[in-house]
Amino acid sequence: MKPETNPHACLGPEHGMSRRRVLGVLGGLAGFGSLLNPTVSRALEKKEKQVCLIWLDGGISQYESWHPLPGTRFGGPFRSIPTRTPGIHFCELMKHTARISDKISVIRNMETKDPNHSSGVPRIQRGDPIDRGVVYPYLGSAVSKLLGPADPDLPPYIWIKPGNGGFIHREAGFLGAEHGALALGDGTPPVHIHRPKGISPENDEARNALRKKINERFRSTRGASEIDAYETSYEMAERLMARKEIFDDSKLSPKDRDRYGSHPLGRHILRARQLLEAGIRFIKVNSYHWDTHGDNFNMSQRLIPQADRPFAALIEDLEERGMLDNTLVILMSEFGRTPNVNSRIGRDHWPDCWSLALAGCGIKQGAVVGKTSGDGAWVDGTGYDIGDLFHTIFSVLGIDARRERYLYKGQKLAIAHDECKPIREVMA
Amino acid sequence: MSVGMKTMSLIALAFTLTAPILKGADSQLPAIIDSHIAARAGGPLSARSDDAEFYRRAHLDLTGIIPREASARSFLADPAPQKRLKLIDMLLSGEDFARHWSDLLSVELLKRQNLGKVPLDEWTEYLFSSLKKRPRWDIMVRAMVAATGLGTERPAMKFLGTGGHQRMTEDIARLFLGMDLECARCHDHPSVKTWEQADYWGLYTYLSWTKAATNTSDKKEYLVEVLGKREIEYQSVFASVGDATGPRLPGMKEAAIPALAKGQEFSRPAENGLPAVPKFLPRQQLARDLTSPKNLVFARNSVNRFWARLLGRGLVHPLDQTHSANPPSHPKLLQALAGKFIASEYDLKWLIRSIMLSEAYQRSSRLPDGASSVPPESYRTALPRALTPEQLLTSVLRATGNRQRVMAMKAPADVKFDRRGYFTGTNKELPRSYTEIQAIFIQTFGRPPGEPETEFIPGLNQSLFLMNDRLLLSWLEPHKGNLIERLGALNDPGKIAETLYLNVLSRLPGESEVAELKAYLEQNTGRTSSALGELAWALINSTEFRLSH
Repeated sequence: MKPETNPHACLGPEHGMSRRRVLGVLGGLAGFGSLLNPTVSRALEKKEKQVCLIWLDGGISQYESWHPLPGTRFGGPFRSIPTRTPGIHFCELMKHTARISDKISVIRNMETKDPNHSSGVPRIQRGDPIDRGVVYPYLGSAVSKLLGPADPDLPPYIWIKPGNGGFIHREAGFLGAEHGALALGDGTPPVHIHRPKGISPENDEARNALRKKINERFRSTRGASEIDAYETSYEMAERLMARKEIFDDSKLSPKDRDRYGSHPLGRHILRARQLLEAGIRFIKVNSYHWDTHGDNFNMSQRLIPQADRPFAALIEDLEERGMLDNTLVILMSEFGRTPNVNSRIGRDHWPDCWSLALAGCGIKQGAVVGKTSGDGAWVDGTGYDIGDLFHTIFSVLGIDARRERYLYKGQKLAIAHDECKPIREVMA
Repeated sequence: MSVGMKTMSLIALAFTLTAPILKGADSQLPAIIDSHIAARAGGPLSARSDDAEFYRRAHLDLTGIIPREASARSFLADPAPQKRLKLIDMLLSGEDFARHWSDLLSVELLKRQNLGKVPLDEWTEYLFSSLKKRPRWDIMVRAMVAATGLGTERPAMKFLGTGGHQRMTEDIARLFLGMDLECARCHDHPSVKTWEQADYWGLYTYLSWTKAATNTSDKKEYLVEVLGKREIEYQSVFASVGDATGPRLPGMKEAAIPALAKGQEFSRPAENGLPAVPKFLPRQQLARDLTSPKNLVFARNSVNRFWARLLGRGLVHPLDQTHSANPPSHPKLLQALAGKFIASEYDLKWLIRSIMLSEAYQRSSRLPDGASSVPPESYRTALPRALTPEQLLTSVLRATGNRQRVMAMKAPADVKFDRRGYFTGTNKELPRSYTEIQAIFIQTFGRPPGEPETEFIPGLNQSLFLMNDRLLLSWLEPHKGNLIERLGALNDPGKIAETLYLNVLSRLPGESEVAELKAYLEQNTGRTSSALGELAWALINSTEFRLSH
């Protein structure tokens, strides 16, 4: 069936189907524009807001990172070290981030609901809005829907992950497949972005010129605008192929590679920096295996530096490039880890009191917020829910989450939990 | 117009003379369709499709694949005035029709999900065997809605998936009543006044007695009904008081649940792990009520969906927005189609045949002279429709002359193809079975599982695939007997163009197209085989090929 205006469709009049049709052409990559190939990224030039979400899947331990409590009942074996922010200590495994603590905010009183990965990951990445019987988009799809691409030639949402990539639509929820992610498996773009070796650029141009002539002839006696959508989808493909150097990491300096680290998370965060510089709106970097139910301390000793070093390097590099003011960096998991150390020297899932870090783009520099019980097990007072974090994220990106609404099948849906609020104490 | 009228009377004449499937059914439907469309046309109609346009369109609709070169040649050369009618009847009675329509219906009914205990191939085989005979849509739907998993109708249970009450409610409302009631689960629909929360829960109540249970003796799972609530209570998220409803179809009265004394409710006791069978079975009742001739909503929605399949747009459009704020473009036509469909005993082939014999179906997709656009709801011009992933794959294979070879490919049973790696480049192998190739096309060109394929938007990933996919490009290299090899054996550019265009676009090339091909080959002397591949590539990537038009 062909695309058609549907006045009762979820996207309603103001986000009407004509707009969706145009965006939809991009299939998982909404919204491109002109064909320039600028030396300075267009997003940067226009000071577009960008996001990098570093997702440590499985749950980083707050005790071994942002909220060390050595010598207390649950503190564990690691020491705490002073940071650049007077009076604030991080775990010794975070020595690089400790150097730049004055550029970031840390929230130590996250208090969320779901102790299971399978439901916790989607719940947290969707911002846990009030159940309206629909499947909400993950943060990356939401931001790319709400802000569109930062550079009209480039996809708005790229997901860097270990393993395989491709066009991944499932995070888009009710927004529809076209708001999904272009996923780079181990940092590599989908194979079809590359022209096979057997086809020279000249022959490729010649065959496309033939295709265009055939299309013009067909179009000349027909009026339906959906025919044009096919031509547009080829123009988009050509533009992305013309910019595929943004996926080329061969020119990155050995020094940078060393600073970020040769492990996957380090390489992927460096790749994220490159794509932020190129003008991608939202980048998610996934790292797995943070679920330290057994041998938590050895695993933390191995894993946490893999996040610490490239995270600090990214913040420094963004600042040096003048990008930090417009780029929001988030480092988080779906929950923290239990105060109690289990019989396998592991820590289990703990949504009741955990920590995360934010930086850039309207986030306060050097703030550490959140009171907890002395042993770090519980929030002292009221904790922040994930809905509060979503309000904060939307707010610093210039989106008014109390007024902006999705339209789905005629109903207006809040973009974040109605009863939550931005976390003012981490906002500049 | 006079040509059209003449043809119409010829068709009407032919209609009464042939067509064994017509038995008793009204043969005037094509003319009725055209008079209703004409009455609301509001402007000039496009010319009748030429034979090539019609031949390709009819093949795609009835068999899911573009025609062979040889058969296209003979159809174009055939002077018989009734050749279109003969073609439709021939294709309708063939196995390819049953195969293609079982694919279409399966995708529509299951949304490419593989749920429940019935294997997918048993389900498609079931649809296939129903479609091979004289398929009656009411009987097919009744079997699917009432399915318990017993007897020869077991595969029909696939439609119900795992028997989840909400999913069944929403699918039945959307597919068989044309109502997307998802929002009404939690409150009256915000913008559609006639869709109420009571409609959702009325339908839900019919389904709420259903439960999956395993028979301990044959170890099979069945979707049985257990004694449940006579009424379901629901409450709007916007209201503080709730309400309750018994089993009810939208716009109809509540179904009466017989009052039975305690101890008298069951017709059979529990056995082999299956619960006792109640005397009253609300889902069985739903299957009857839903497909009853009294339920005009069902008949109207059915004809609307089949009409949309063949004409590119529903009389009620979008298909799942049947309500008072979204009236049909041609209410009387919808009424007539529904009435005749009921009178034909919901004869699916008769309906398809009647629609295809109308001038509305047989119009060209070229705009009428002088018009720069035509409102799609007027049906004055044939609306182009995107090929389904399955149509695209089979048609690319036939166009490039690789179909037989590829269909015959058998991957070693122990080799599992790494499809994800194929898309990311870590798997450098090409797929070695037709099933895998089809999965690659469905992943690229289909909607994700669980999303109804109601609209198609050409995407960036699809054009990247068609531009750069190694497998597809390999089909454009010369292999024994394939198109590029055959073209390479021809010397005359006119002959080359004719063969190429007939194979890919199922039509003869125009003069400028022959000239263009000739010039391209002259620019590429010394690399003719590659140049032929590029010419074929350009046609396969053309909008003309990607659409049924």
